[in-house]
Parts: sequence; structure tokens; C-alpha cells
Amino acid sequence: MSVFRKHKSIVDRASSDRMRHKKKIDKAIKESIKDVIAEESIIGQDGKKKIRIPVRGIKEYRFIYGNNEENKSVGSGGDHSLKKGQKIGQKRAEKGQGQGTGKASDQKGDEYYDVEVSLEELAEYLFADLELPDLEKKQFKFVSQESIKRKGYRFKGIRPRLSKKETLKRKIRRQKMAEKNGTHDPEGDERFPFHKDDLKYHHIKPKIKENSAAVIFFLMDVSGSMSQERKFLARSFFFLLYQFLNHKYEKVDVVFISHSTHANRVTEDDFFKVGTYGGTIISSALQLELDTIEKEYHPNTWNIYSFYCGDGENWSSDNEKCLDLFREIKDLSQLTGYCEINEQYQGLADEVDKDDVFHGTPWGTFSAWKNEELENLWAKLTPVCDQKFKKVMIGETAHIWKAFHSLFGGKSQS
Amino acid sequence: MSDWTEADLLHWDEKILRVAEDLGLDWHPIDYEIIDYAEMLGAMAYVGLPTHYRHWSYGKEYERTHTLYNMGQTGLPYEMIINSNPSIAYLMRENALYIHLLTMAHCVGHSDFFKQNRMFAETNPENIIDSFKSAAKYVRKLIEDPSIGIDRVEHILDAAHSIKYQVPRFPGIKYKSRDELLAIEKQKMTEQESYSPDLTKNPLEPEYNLLRFIAEHSHRLEEWERNLILIVEESSKYFIPQALTKVMNEGWACTIHYKIINELNLPDNLHLPFIKLHNQVVRPHLGQLNPYHLGFKLFEKIVEESGFEEAMIVREVHNDISFLRFYADQKFLEDMNYFSYSFKKEKKIITIDDISDNGGWEAVRDELIKNVGLNRVPVIFVDEVEKDNSLCLAHEHDGRDLDLNYAQKVYDHIKTLWKDEVKLVTMVENEIWEF
Repeated sequence: MSVFRKHKSIVDRASSDRMRHKKKIDKAIKESIKDVIAEESIIGQDGKKKIRIPVRGIKEYRFIYGNNEENKSVGSGGDHSLKKGQKIGQKRAEKGQGQGTGKASDQKGDEYYDVEVSLEELAEYLFADLELPDLEKKQFKFVSQESIKRKGYRFKGIRPRLSKKETLKRKIRRQKMAEKNGTHDPEGDERFPFHKDDLKYHHIKPKIKENSAAVIFFLMDVSGSMSQERKFLARSFFFLLYQFLNHKYEKVDVVFISHSTHANRVTEDDFFKVGTYGGTIISSALQLELDTIEKEYHPNTWNIYSFYCGDGENWSSDNEKCLDLFREIKDLSQLTGYCEINEQYQGLADEVDKDDVFHGTPWGTFSAWKNEELENLWAKLTPVCDQKFKKVMIGETAHIWKAFHSLFGGKSQS
Repeated sequence: MSDWTEADLLHWDEKILRVAEDLGLDWHPIDYEIIDYAEMLGAMAYVGLPTHYRHWSYGKEYERTHTLYNMGQTGLPYEMIINSNPSIAYLMRENALYIHLLTMAHCVGHSDFFKQNRMFAETNPENIIDSFKSAAKYVRKLIEDPSIGIDRVEHILDAAHSIKYQVPRFPGIKYKSRDELLAIEKQKMTEQESYSPDLTKNPLEPEYNLLRFIAEHSHRLEEWERNLILIVEESSKYFIPQALTKVMNEGWACTIHYKIINELNLPDNLHLPFIKLHNQVVRPHLGQLNPYHLGFKLFEKIVEESGFEEAMIVREVHNDISFLRFYADQKFLEDMNYFSYSFKKEKKIITIDDISDNGGWEAVRDELIKNVGLNRVPVIFVDEVEKDNSLCLAHEHDGRDLDLNYAQKVYDHIKTLWKDEVKLVTMVENEIWEF
């Protein structure tokens, strides 16, 4: 006789192992995302847009046989018309399933999980687990505004804060008591005047209101020297910044300003597409930003973020002016970033100590700016740098992530 | 919703067991757990074991089955049973009665096989649950230990899992410690004077139990790491006999369920869907090996030619390799239309190498044998530990090259365990290849 048992349903026993597996998948997604962000046109897109990310499955490696001809497969079935040497397929067919240790062979070949995520989720993935420990505290001081709010009543106060309603209520209460006690006759002609003790005043408390609206200024050099590749890097970088800030604030405005010798406020499309020719005067863009801030985005109500992306070339006569304007912008902004796209930086990423690369000036040796040694904007900006002003250099897509980290001050990922 | 009650199961169970007794089967008593879909996924992820140590790969297995099932690519198994005493088997609550009947009859076949087949003689069905339980407990303790934690535990388990099939191929091969081996060699030397082996060599003879050898001879393992490796080795031992008899075990269970159900005189509303399901289980998969099909058909042939008595003996004494070598003859392979094929690198196409005709059937049979059970797992052995503590491994090359990408990763895993230099020698395209 066999025994039948209704399973005493214990908790979902695989759950912790599934969670552990999911963590690994998430990590894989995150790694793939870094490639994806560089390829899709995603800034300012509706957050609902779906992006497919191929994620390599988490493999369990074993010794398995490879693909040489001696590794033959055996199969059954089909009609009896099969002939030796007959071609039966292009790719190597999947191995038979269900053999005792079939797993070793089943798991051959790349397992891809095609994960579909929305932009919102993508941002979650990017930032939720970013390990930016100090970020909330330091970088995310919201602009705040002091306002005054009434809160309760007090017996003492200044005249303008007198609460007529409460005062009257007290007087009526006192009057009724007096009637009850017989000290006052309601039918009589006697007045029942206000007494000093009736007076009540509004109490006020200052309240700090944090503004959770942000405006991001994306400034980019679109002069002749900004090649498609460079713009591509700039765009990827901007995307990250946008997603991150969008993630943090309730409302985010984005202002695109492109410039060559002259600055224009443009749409996102034009920002990345339209190329112009001619020289570079960075200050034109900075000035336009300042003008825009003055007109539309008061720093008391808006958290301002300013990011400039260029190839470091500028008319040397303009550098001093830029410096001043950058200082001005820095004072108004929560964070200002100066990003230089420089392909020559590529090879040096690993050789130079990271802190040096981002904040110091190992620059003279591989300057794209050749007119004046060291007299370039990058070097000049060094004294401006502090918590609120950072400069980063990007040579290839791999640097984008690092640059992002150095801007927002998290632990850099290995 | 369901078309059965527990009383139905008890009723049919009695009938099934009676037929099984009449057939002369001898099995461990069976405990059926009636579980729902999610629990079934869970049970499958841990290969039916009621307790098992934690590892993310089981979570992955769960998700994989879940996904495949949702995509309609796989049905949940009708049977899952573990080699314990009593045998524990699972019935999915959502299944219809006829599926349960097939499952129960099938499980009797498996349990009989576990108890009778000599490959399982060294297994310890009385204690298997407890030994997995204590392993699970130990691993949990390590994970909860703040000085160790889940990451370090996984690091070792990941590595140990990568060589979990690198254990002796046949049950009953006892692992001999160095002292035991030395004693044997010394005995030989006294018996035969000319015999003078190098007694400084370690191991004294090629060692196929990689996990055990590493656990015993790696100098730098911490105690808990050593224990983890031995836990993996221990659980491998449980699976080896099953890997060696997959074709036979399934073939036998299908033979038994088919025989039993046909004896039950089921009403048509149960019998017809049963037949349909049975045919689905034992159908050939085009271009692939379906062990249910191969095993069922071979047992069918044995019963036809030599009677059920012969089949009873076969289920006792053979394993997949001897089973196929003995009974998969030209007629059988030709009837079943087995053929071998491979990928031709130069032309980038797959072509048929041999078909089961006069000239080709033996080659097909040999390839068939190479493709069952542990024969699909490359053989790696410990050749020597060198003076500088390098662990030298070698691959027994049988014509099939290793997949180098995978081998590289496993090599890295082995380094994790050995914690020192590791060498691995194999052949790739007829040239020596060394990691």
C-alpha cells in the first residue's frame, strides 16, 4: 500500500535560490545596459518606450565536448530514405535531451534571456543599485524656499496676527458662562465687551519647502570638429545624466543649447543631428544658458544642472570669458559638469590613476588643443573644480560610466 | 475541477500494486506527495529531493522549467521519484486521474529498478534524505556565518559544481586515500621484488575523483571549504547510478506502466487518454535520442524475443552501456532508423556519417553508446601533483575534443579550489593543448 500525503505546503522553497539567480541576471542586465545606452535614441523619450536587452544567461560551466567532427550525435526517426553523407542541417543541432547527465550538453550554446525593459525600469536598473552612498546627502540638496505657515494659536502675539475668529469664539464662550452664572443679562442693554484675555493670535512657523523640479541644461559644441562619433559619446553621456536626474526629481525640464561660434536653443532632434561648421566659442552657449535661467528658471524654484560637452577646442581668446561664465553658472547650479570628448584619451584610461585623469591634468601630453600648450580650457578649469563643478573626460563608451560616477561621486564600479 | 479524489488514488493504487506483485516486482514502498504546480516546479528544481542545500543554480532551473512550460515547450513530468526508502514521488494536483495512474504505475517501475539494479547496490536509500538534509543544514550555517556568508559559499559551490561529474564512472569504486594506496604498493613490492614504483608520486595511480582528491590534498583550503567540496562529491555519488542507467531506468518504468495499466481493464474514458499520453512519452524525437523511446523499445524487443523473465534479469544486471551493446543489434537499429551525424567544419553543414545498414550499424551503435549518460562527460583525471604543488590534470582523449571556452572556465574554477597552479593537458585537432 502506498502512502498519499497532501503536501504540507511549506514556504516556496526555491524562492531564495531564485532570488539569488535573479540578482545575477540583474547584474548581467546592468552590464548589457551600458552597451545599450550608447546605441538607442533614448533621451527625452517617453519613459514607457521598451527596449530589448539581450542578457547572457548565467552559465554553469562543466567539461563538455566541443564541435570537432569526432563528436558525433545520434538520432532516430525520420523515414528510411536517409543516406550516408546526406546534409541535414546548417547549424549544429541541439543535442538529445534527457540523457542522464544531459545538462552538460544541453547547456551548450549561448543562452540568451531577452529582457524587455521600459526606459523607466532601465533607469531603475542603472541607478537603484549604483552604490552612490553620499549622493542623497551631498549632491542632492534640493533648492529650498522658506515659506511661512500658520500653526496653532497663542495668547501672545503681534496685532496683525490676531485671529478674529478664535477671539470671538472665546468672547462668546465667556458671555454664555456669564449668562449662566447670572452675571450678565442677555435681555438687558448692557454691552458685553471684548476682554484682553479673549485675544488669540495665530502662531506661525517657518517652513522649508523643497523644490523637486529640476532643469537640465545640455550644452554641446556642434562645430566642425565634433564628429559623429564624438556626438555619439556626448549623447550617451547626456542620456545617463538625464535618466538619473529624471529618476530623482518629480519634474524635469531639459534645455538643449548647441553652439559653434554662436549659440542656439534647439530641440533634442536638432541637438544631435544638425551639424554646423566653423569655429568654437564656448562662452556663447554659457551666456545663453545664463540668459535662459534669468528668464525662465529662477534658481530659487528650480534645481539647475548644467552639463557641457565639447571636444575641448575653443578660441583661446574666449577662455578667460568662459571661466568667468562657468563660475557664474556654478553658483546658480546644483552641479555643473564639464565634459571633454577626446579620443586620444582612450589608451590612457588604464594607465593613469583615475583621480588624476578626472581631476588633474595629465593633459598636456595628449591635448587635442595644440595652439597653446597647457593653456587650454581643461587646465584652466582646474581651480574652479570642487563639489559643485566637475570635469570629466571621455574617450570611448566605456568611459561614460566612469565619468558619470565621478560626477555624482559614487563608488566607481570595477 | 479535478476528476478524482484521494479515495480514487487509494483504490487504483491497490490494483496497481497487485498487478505489480503478480509480475514479480519488488520495490521500496512509495510515498506520494500531492502537490500543486508551483510546488512541482520547486520539487523539480531540486531533482525531487525534499531537502537540498541552497544554490542559485536551482533557482535558475526553476525559472527555466517555468518558462519552458509557459511557452508550451515542455510538459511537467508525469513522474518524479527519488531513490530513497520509502521512495518519494510526486503527483501534481492539477493533473487528471489517468495521468496519476500512469505516474503511479511508472513509479512502481522506477522503485523496483532502484531496488533491483546492481548499479544502485552501493546507494544508501535509507539514509539519502538525511544526508541531504544535513548537507543543507551545514550550508545554511555557513551562509549565516557572518565571517563566511553567501558569496564565499557560492564561490566554492560554483567551482565544485563545475567538476561534479568528474568522479569515478562506476559505483563501487572506493576512493583510496594515499595511505591505503601506499600500503597496497608496499604489499606488491614485498610480493614481487622487481616491482619498484615511485612512491613519492602523488597520486600513485591516476585519480578520477577530482573533488575528493582536491579536498584531501589542497593545502590552502579552509575547513569549511573542504567540507563543501565533499558535500558536492557526496551528492554526485547519488546521481551517478541514475546517470548510468537513464535509458534502462526509463525504459523499464515505461514497460511496467504499460503492462500494469493494460492489466487494469480501465474504462475507455481513462484508457484512451492514457494510451495517447503513453505514446507521447515513448515517441521518437526526430534526430535526437529519447531515452524513454530507446529503453521502452529495447525492453519490448527483449520481452518479444526471450520473454518477460529475461527482461527481469536484464533490469537487474545491466547498465546503459552493456544494455545497448548487448541488445541494440542491427535489426533494432535499422527498425528504429538510428543514424549518426556531425558538424563538418569546412563546409559548415551537418551531414549524416552513418546509417544503420550492413556497413554502418556498428558505428552507429558505438556512437549511440558514446552519447548516453556519463559518456557525454569528458574524462579528466589527476595525473600528478608536482614538486611545486602544481596540480596536473589530463583529459582522456577519445577523439572528441573539449569545448575550449568551457574548459577554460572550468580550469579557472579548479584553480579556485586548488588555490595554486593547475595544469590541464588535452588534445585539440590532434595536437597537444595545455592550459
